[in-house]
Formats: sequence, C-alpha cells, structure tokens
Amino acid sequence: MATELISETKARSTLLVTLRDKLRLKSAWEKLTWTWRPETKREAGDAIVRNFVLHWFPAKVSLESLSWGYSFWLGTISAVLFLILTITGGVLMFLYVPSVERAYLSVKDLEFSTSYGWFLRGLHRIGAHLMVAVVFLHMVRVFLTGAFKNGRKAVGQNRPLNWIIGVALLLITLLLSFTGYLLPWDQLAYWAITVGTNIASSAPVFGEPTRFILLGGTTIEQATLIRFYVLHCFILPLATLWLVSYHMWRVRKDGGLACVEKRYEEAKKEERPAIASKTYSLLGITGGTAVDVRNVMVDDEKDKVPSSPYLTVRLAVVTLATLVASIVLTLIVKAPLEEAANPAVTPNPAKAPWYFLWLQELVTITTFTIGGFTINGALIGGIILPGVLVLAAVLWPYFDKSPVSSIGRWFPKERKWQNRIFLLIIVAILILTFIGTFMRGPFWEIYMPWQEWEQTPRKF
Amino acid sequence: MKKQKPLDEIKAKILDAQENDPIVGGPAKNVELIGKASRRGFLKTLGISAVLVALGGQLFAMLRSLFPNVLYEPPQKFKVGTLDKFTDGGTFLEEKRLFIFRQQNTFHAISAACTHLGCTVKMVKLNQPKKVTAGGKEIEEQVEFHCPCHGSKYYGDGTNYAGPAPRPLDYFNLEVSPDDGQLIVDMAKKVEQDYRLTT
Repeated sequence: MATELISETKARSTLLVTLRDKLRLKSAWEKLTWTWRPETKREAGDAIVRNFVLHWFPAKVSLESLSWGYSFWLGTISAVLFLILTITGGVLMFLYVPSVERAYLSVKDLEFSTSYGWFLRGLHRIGAHLMVAVVFLHMVRVFLTGAFKNGRKAVGQNRPLNWIIGVALLLITLLLSFTGYLLPWDQLAYWAITVGTNIASSAPVFGEPTRFILLGGTTIEQATLIRFYVLHCFILPLATLWLVSYHMWRVRKDGGLACVEKRYEEAKKEERPAIASKTYSLLGITGGTAVDVRNVMVDDEKDKVPSSPYLTVRLAVVTLATLVASIVLTLIVKAPLEEAANPAVTPNPAKAPWYFLWLQELVTITTFTIGGFTINGALIGGIILPGVLVLAAVLWPYFDKSPVSSIGRWFPKERKWQNRIFLLIIVAILILTFIGTFMRGPFWEIYMPWQEWEQTPRKF
Repeated sequence: MKKQKPLDEIKAKILDAQENDPIVGGPAKNVELIGKASRRGFLKTLGISAVLVALGGQLFAMLRSLFPNVLYEPPQKFKVGTLDKFTDGGTFLEEKRLFIFRQQNTFHAISAACTHLGCTVKMVKLNQPKKVTAGGKEIEEQVEFHCPCHGSKYYGDGTNYAGPAPRPLDYFNLEVSPDDGQLIVDMAKKVEQDYRLTT
C-alpha cells in the first residue's frame, strides 16, 4: 500500500515536472527573476563579494562594530537621512517650479493647498537639518576615536583616504543645504545668494569669474535659480551617491570599523604556550623547544556573528528610528517661509540658517586694516579661515603620530592633545553659532538673549 | 634543421610581413631608432591623444556654454525722473537700490549695496544733526546707513566707520538728460565721494 502511494506520488511529481518543463514555466520564471543561479554555496558567496551593492556588508561582523556606544551609528543615520531626502525630494520635484516668477508661489501652494505638501516639505527640510548635524557629529566621532588612522599592516588599508572622502561629503552636505534653501526664492534665499556669491567673489583672481558663473550673469535672476536648482537636484546628489558608495565600500576595504584594531593589539599581548614536542635547536633554526612566531593571528570566527540578521536587523532599527524621529520633528517644527524675495529690502537682521551662523560671525569680525590697506572679512572669514580648517582636516591624519593602540577608542590618553585641539575648534564654532543665533539683533548688534530687540521700521 | 612549430611559423610570417611590407614595414628599415614597436606606440599615443583632445574640447565647450554671452539684465544707465521729483534730503529708489540726495540745486547718488557683502543698507534718520569727521573733513550729517546683515555702519556721506565694510559706499555719475530734463544715473561709472551734479 505504502509502496503504491510512493510510486504514485513520484509518478505525479514526474508528470508535474514534465508538464512544467513542457510549458517552460520554470524557465520563464527564472528568466524574469534570475540572471544566473548559483550552483554551490561558494558560488553564492562569490556572487555577493562581486556585487558592488552587497559588497558593503561583510558575511560576518564583529560584535564591537555593532555596539551602539562606539559609533552611535551616525554614518548609517546620515545615509538613511540621505535616502529620506532623495525620496521626498523626488516627489517635491513634481510640485516645485524653478522659475523666478513661480518658485515662491509653488512653494506657497505646496505649503497651503497641496495635500500633505506641508508634510513633504517639512520632512525634506528637517531631514536636511538633521543630515548637516549628523554628518558633522559623525566627523567628530571619527576624529575623537582616531578612526582615520591605519592600524595593523593590512593590504589596501587606507583610512586617511576615507577620512578625506568624509570631509568632502561634509562639504557637499553643506552645499546641498545651501542650494536647497535658495529654491523657495524667499527673502532668506535671495540674501543668502547675495552674501554667498559675494563671499566667492572676494577671492583674488578667480573670485569674479566664480560669481559670474554661479549667478549666470552679474545680477541674481532666472539664470541663477536654474543653476542652483540643477546643482541641488542633480549634480550634488549624484556626487553624494557616488562618494557615499565609495565611502562605505572603503570601510570594508580598510578592515572594518577602527574599533576592531583593538583585537589585533590584544592578540599581540596574548601569551601562547610553547609547543614542547620538538627541539628546534637541533635543526639549527633556533634555540629552545619552540619557534616564536610573532605574526599576529586573530581568530576571525571568535566574537563574530553573521551579518544577517545581526547587522541587518540593527540597520532596520536605525532606519526606523531615524524615520520616526524625522517625522515627529516635522510634526512639531513648522517649516518657515519668509516673504517673497525682494532685492530692495534686506530683512533686519538677516540671519543664515544655524549651521552657517558661525561663518556669518566670522565674516563680520575679520575685516582688518593694516596701514591704509583694508582686507575684507569676506576673504579672511569667508574663504581663508574655512579653507585653512578644511586643509587642516585633510592633512591631519598624515601628521597624527599617535600610537596604533589609541585607534578605535573614545578619548584615549595617547591622543589627548590632538583631541583637545580639535575640541577647542569645535567649541569655538559652537560659541560663534550661539552668538549668531541668540545674541544678534537688528543691524547685527549684540543683544543678550533675554534682552528685547529695539523696534526698527521695516522699510524706508 | 629543427622543424618550426606552427605558432613560430605564424610569428615568422608576421615578422616577415612587417619587415617587407611596403607600408607597414617600410620606414622602419630606414630609420633605425624608430622600430616597429615604436611605430605602434606612436600610433597608440596619437590615438589616445586624439580621444583626450576630443573629450577636453567637449568639456571646454560645456563649461564655456555656462558663461553667457548675452545678459538680459536691466541697463546700468537709466533715467530716474525729473529734478523736481527729488526733494531736499535723501530719496531711496527701491528698484535700483540707490539713494539720490539733493541739497538745493546739487545732486549726488549713493549706492545702497553694502561694500562688505552686498546687502541693502538702511538709511537711519538721526534725531538731531551730528558732526563727524569723515575722510579728514568735518561734516554735519542728518542720516546714517546701517547694514542689517553684518552690522556695517556708514556716515551720511557713505564713509564706513564701524563693522566689517572695507570701503565707503559707491558714488555714481549723474547727468541731466538734454531731451526731457530727467536725471540719468550711470551705475557703471563710479565717481569720487566729493562728486556733485549742480544744475
């Protein structure tokens, strides 16, 4: 009875297989979904290694790389924010009109008449603000943990290069924000372009041509808006996408997060018992009963877990948390829209967004007169000082001679001075930002945060 | 004699063709230094250079196209109205970001663009006239100009005295149109601070 049943099942399944093969159902399905089916696990693994997108994730990750307290997952959060910005930005492109006459009205429509337009715009705006903050904090984390330094001698390791790419990404993030808040063509936009392009024009020799090509002429007009629009929606996001991909791929090429370097240091210290089974001195290799091999071997399997699900689930949690935080902030913080751009009237005071206020302070306080010669603060505070900061950041890894043991740890004693200098610069930037945000009133006069501003007529 | 392998035969044939071919192998015989490999190398370099020049040319064309040849911008020289339109004191022309000052029958035009970073300065009327020394001269001023962006301050004659502004506000050339008697401002023509148009 049982034998009959089995043979009947077999016959039926053979029939099904034959039918499927005859109708070519399997092949059609595979053609639609697979370009190639791996035959072995080795082939499947190779496929992941060869795939650029999947290459971001290793098959296994160390537990310390997954810790919340070491990296705060700031890089991942930045990438998630970029994803949110790309998606909301894509929708906004259907609704926004990049024309001087209609840009402001289209944003106003978005805010007041389009269904959920206020939400899309708000989420895009909050996402941008968060991205500036998170990318900056990510840089601070990498510096303070010395994660831009190469550790053990590993093939292809070049963490300083990845740090430089990170600096470039921070600059692109700032440019994306700058070009973004120009698009509503309100007062904030107009005066930001005025000040921004005049800072560019204060550079010697290349200044004026740079301003001319940015504006598409000598005055802020349609040519200017369309240039910033293309930069914001196409060129800068493309550059970000490309650099972020490379940045993440390099983390793997550099041997993972810098915190894993500790394991190699610890492995060096580990005492390994000598194998006393042979006498090497007889062979003329070395004295004693064991060959002392100083090559550091780290047991890769120890403390390592499969990326899926350990990394992927955490990634999902971070993505969800970032999305929830952005949405909650969007609901709480209203996205402002100033009056329509008016070249005749500069708002009093005219303030940049918070992340550029330290620069606004710098250009205010750096005009110097030596003898009869005056150097504009725009050149010193707007170009030279930020340029020096960027250059210092780029070169820092090549001059940081702190020991390998300080890599991948928070506030190591060996990097005390490096971290102090870095934090001093950060604190200076934060103080200038605070002054710009809370202590500047009409005509850029100093007011205490609790002091009321003097009432000035808006227009003359 | 050892028989040549098929591959060696082919190689020999190619070599023979290269040496004896009137076009491919020709010149190499005459010029010792430029051998066969160099000719190939030369052509390769030539090919790569041609590609680079073509790409460079296109890149140049793309970048050059971003520098406009024709600007549809308002003219720098324009009429602002007849003289009687301007009363004694300062008048702000919003569209042009310009102050026209009149003292009886003398006129002068001061730019409202801050010399620091180009924001529009605001004219602040003083409660009472103030005597100040600007550019070595003592003047009595009724108004001052203050910038809302970075706090630059200018005396009534446009001389900067506080904040980050590196130089005084610009003065522009004035004319009276011979056809309709209107005042003409030429913003492309900057003039000295003591310039006055007397009518």
